[in-house]
Amino acid sequence: MIIERRVSGLLIVATLGAALFLALLPLPDALSAVRPAIYPATVLFWVLMQPMSFGLIAAWCCGILIDVIYGTPFGEHGLAMAVAGYAVIRLRDLLWTFPVWQQSVLLLPVFILYEFVLFWIDGVAGAEVNQWWRWLPVLTTTVIWPFWASLLERIAEFEVG
Amino acid sequence: MRGLAEDDKTPFLGRRIAPGIRIVAIAIISIILMMVDHASTSLTPVRSTLAVATQPIQMIAEMPGEIAHYMGRYFDRGQLITENEALEQKVLLLQARLQRLASLQAENERIRALLASASSLDQNVLIARILSVSPDPYRHYIKLNKGSTDGVFVGQALVDANGIMGQVTDVTPLDSRAILITDANHGIPVEINRTGLQTIAQGSGKSNELRLPFLANNADIRADDLLVTSGLGGRYPAGYPVGTVTSVVHQPGDEFLDVVANPSAHLNRGREVLLVWTSNTEAQAREDEAITEAAPADDAGAEPTAP
Repeated sequence: MIIERRVSGLLIVATLGAALFLALLPLPDALSAVRPAIYPATVLFWVLMQPMSFGLIAAWCCGILIDVIYGTPFGEHGLAMAVAGYAVIRLRDLLWTFPVWQQSVLLLPVFILYEFVLFWIDGVAGAEVNQWWRWLPVLTTTVIWPFWASLLERIAEFEVG
Repeated sequence: MRGLAEDDKTPFLGRRIAPGIRIVAIAIISIILMMVDHASTSLTPVRSTLAVATQPIQMIAEMPGEIAHYMGRYFDRGQLITENEALEQKVLLLQARLQRLASLQAENERIRALLASASSLDQNVLIARILSVSPDPYRHYIKLNKGSTDGVFVGQALVDANGIMGQVTDVTPLDSRAILITDANHGIPVEINRTGLQTIAQGSGKSNELRLPFLANNADIRADDLLVTSGLGGRYPAGYPVGTVTSVVHQPGDEFLDVVANPSAHLNRGREVLLVWTSNTEAQAREDEAITEAAPADDAGAEPTAP
């Protein structure tokens, strides 16, 4: 497990960059609605695996970046990311006892929480999107998590040796 | 299983703070930031600086699409030739029309001068290319490749060959972001071309639908009516097509008609747009900007509420 060792900051930035690339890749509308939230998943992965170097403040900064790119109110995604990160920290002891593919079941509520914070702020800001398919990315992220997380773990293990 | 209770408290400014306290602090800071951002434009410089910093990753994300686009052109010579021929014919047609238009415009201006009317037909245009559409499927924004260095300013109207597309909401030195008329947060003052009836067309959040929620039951409107910009509110130049009414439904018991229109502009196709403004609106926008330094602009007409 890579949680025992510190991964270099460069690797974290590189994986976040790759996730952001996947998040920004233009897709047709129908696909875009079910696009898994790879970027938040990556942030949460590092919150889970690198508690010493990647904490809530880093997660918040990653969210702020999304706010800039999406043009959402400053701090919306930051807050959602930090809240989800906090949930991961709370669940961390439990999460570590499971293999990656079982973690995703436990992370489903975390992804729901992330989406719910966004949904709430959107509603308050008057940009309400109250359609059931808004929650589809939560499911696809849960499905994609085992693959994405084990890929990230492989890469990290490869780096720390 | 390792107990990482100590590691949870990562050092921050030399102290160790528990995550519970940190999340509360982050939540408070975020909420204050959001409120400030929503209410004023004082965070715009921070946003533009960060936007310039994130430009490379966005450009890289756009690359596969761009490459596919150019490769398609490279390999499809036959299509290119037919396209070229079609365009040539179109240019010829448009030029013929333009000749008539020039004389009509001159005539119109003479008549307006006779009426001592202040409004002028003189409009400036700027061609911009669409860099990307909003990655968030629920917000209808597009990114343009022209920024404040090219003379783009907030409030400029966007049109394509068929009608109004939207208006500019954020400007950075190198690019700008525009909201489309179909965004759920956008409203545009329109008039029905046939009758001159004034109303507001709101975006529905779907890319091919506008709603006209403020028409009384006895309003004279029917399917296939053309909606054009009325120019009220000062954001959009008057007389551009906005959409055509597709359905008018009267729900018994409702006070207002349920009217749906289809936007004229091809909002999700094409890569080039025109930015249109009159010298008046430019002066107005500069003035607005000067005022917004102190207080947020409150435009009665077309104001995106959450950019």
